Amino acid sequence: MNDPLATTFCGLNFSSPVVLLSGCVGFGEEYTRVEGFSNADAGAVVLKGTYLEARPGNPPHRVWESPSGMLNAIGLQNPGAATVIRDILPRLDFDETRFFANVCGSTIEEYAAVTARFDDSPIDAMEINISCPNVDHGGVEFGNDPGVSAKVVAACRKATSKPIIAKLSPNQTDIATNARACIEAGADALAVINTVMGMAIDITTRRPVLGNNRGGLSGPAIRPIALLKVHQVYQEAGPLGIPIIGQGGICSAHDAIEFLLAGASAIGLGTALFYDPLVVTKVNAGIRDYLREHGTESVGDLIGTVELR
Amino acid sequence: MNTEARAHRGTIALEDACVLSQQRFDGNQFILRVRAPRCAQRATPGSFAHLTCDTSIPMRRPLSIMRADADDGSVEFLYKPVGHGLAQLATREADDIVSVLGPIGHGFDPDPKRPMILAVAGGVGIPPVYFLAETLRDDARFALLVLLGSEVPFPFPTTVRDESITGLPPSASHAIVDLERWHVPSALASNAGLEGCYPGHVPDLARAWLSKQSGDVLERVQIVSCGPEAMLRATAALAHEFDVPAALAVEEFMACGVGGCAGCIVPIHTPDGIAMKRVCVDGPVFDARELYPA
Repeated sequence: MNDPLATTFCGLNFSSPVVLLSGCVGFGEEYTRVEGFSNADAGAVVLKGTYLEARPGNPPHRVWESPSGMLNAIGLQNPGAATVIRDILPRLDFDETRFFANVCGSTIEEYAAVTARFDDSPIDAMEINISCPNVDHGGVEFGNDPGVSAKVVAACRKATSKPIIAKLSPNQTDIATNARACIEAGADALAVINTVMGMAIDITTRRPVLGNNRGGLSGPAIRPIALLKVHQVYQEAGPLGIPIIGQGGICSAHDAIEFLLAGASAIGLGTALFYDPLVVTKVNAGIRDYLREHGTESVGDLIGTVELR
Repeated sequence: MNTEARAHRGTIALEDACVLSQQRFDGNQFILRVRAPRCAQRATPGSFAHLTCDTSIPMRRPLSIMRADADDGSVEFLYKPVGHGLAQLATREADDIVSVLGPIGHGFDPDPKRPMILAVAGGVGIPPVYFLAETLRDDARFALLVLLGSEVPFPFPTTVRDESITGLPPSASHAIVDLERWHVPSALASNAGLEGCYPGHVPDLARAWLSKQSGDVLERVQIVSCGPEAMLRATAALAHEFDVPAALAVEEFMACGVGGCAGCIVPIHTPDGIAMKRVCVDGPVFDARELYPA
């Protein structure tokens, strides 16, 4: 009998619909420090955002707790694509899970160049980061304009035959239009959503808490926003067979199932790992229980099956 | 994937730790003792644990480990409830369960070529130094002098020191009882008029001692330190002035605690320029010359 959690995503076999999200798990091996944690429990692991050249990231402070979530302004600290491919990818165990790169750029040309680098690597797929709120150029600056988003995706599409996933920003008026533009430009899948832009101020010093002044809000605080965005994007992507990685504050199997019902084919865990580093196995077990209790054979049978009132 | 590439795996334990005791001391200081046997077995001085303070506050809080007993599986933390998270932790009572992720980080790694360790710590920076003193008390390779500063009464019994320490002012007459028992000399500093304490900052006490040492002795000295940033900067300046190495344990706001998010970085000065290093797994102990260069 097939494992009810097993699924395929862009033609890749996933042991579970759980995806570990970019920016939360370093370059793939960090969480394996925790006894009992295994990348094999996740369908895929998305590596830290990577540019062509190294970037130091933002000055401290970079993280701040907020009600039901947290703000971060890491600023895409990374050692550059060549170093990732030469020094980091050989240390990953591709037998355990699928590893995705997270492609960044300050220009459309840089996105394409980074994609080309990862095309010639063991990386299984690439997430195109057109939604990071913590950098001055690229990121959300490109992702909030469907026309520019499409140009970035099209340039990356030309640079690889591997699956590409456009990671969409919630910081825009009409995410579904942007999703359609990315699909037409060649995206194989969509990641919905990146963080919501936010801020915190230290009232003693009267200065922003974060070194970057602003940051991205994640965690349960954004979960209802993310769920609606997934549902909206699914209206565009579902009929075209374009899968969605639903993400934004998912902490439990209950949350994950909500996103699957709303239209996600896979679900991302990020901030939840900070709460409980062993949350992946609990989410997997909870989804299994739900499938058994509801007589559902496969996790794939849940996708987009919410019944609207 | 080779063995070396897997060496880090499974080094940090996640335990539902039973609270053994929670003691409150003057100055709003708390010592929390929990049963976390896997953390206790692996903890080293300078390492820390990432604790869940309350189920309503899922983000963890990093606390330096003050004592770890591999035999009875207990781990102790000293903290002040600064902020709402630690305020919740302070309400935990015996038999409550606290999630403990640890031990985390590279602790102090004293160089046997410099057998005289001058330990300088202040406030809630005291735990790693206390842990180091207890760990090295029977280690014939090293001798320690522990200098502690606090603006509130120390959460440990103090006593008049039996023997004077060359170079220290007579006002620094008291020592920590535990350290005396371990035959580790100590002296105290405070601006709060505490009995037996040198009236000033703890780096001033360190300066008084360092300035009385000969060049031969200074060549055998290394400093370890943990405390507020101003204290660490002053200690780094002493290290530069007297040309002795110093290992500083730092803290920063932290999210994951395992190296995944790069949220807890500090700028480190390297020959190739500034590098952003993670306090959690690259630290929390850094070389003073790299953290606060001369």
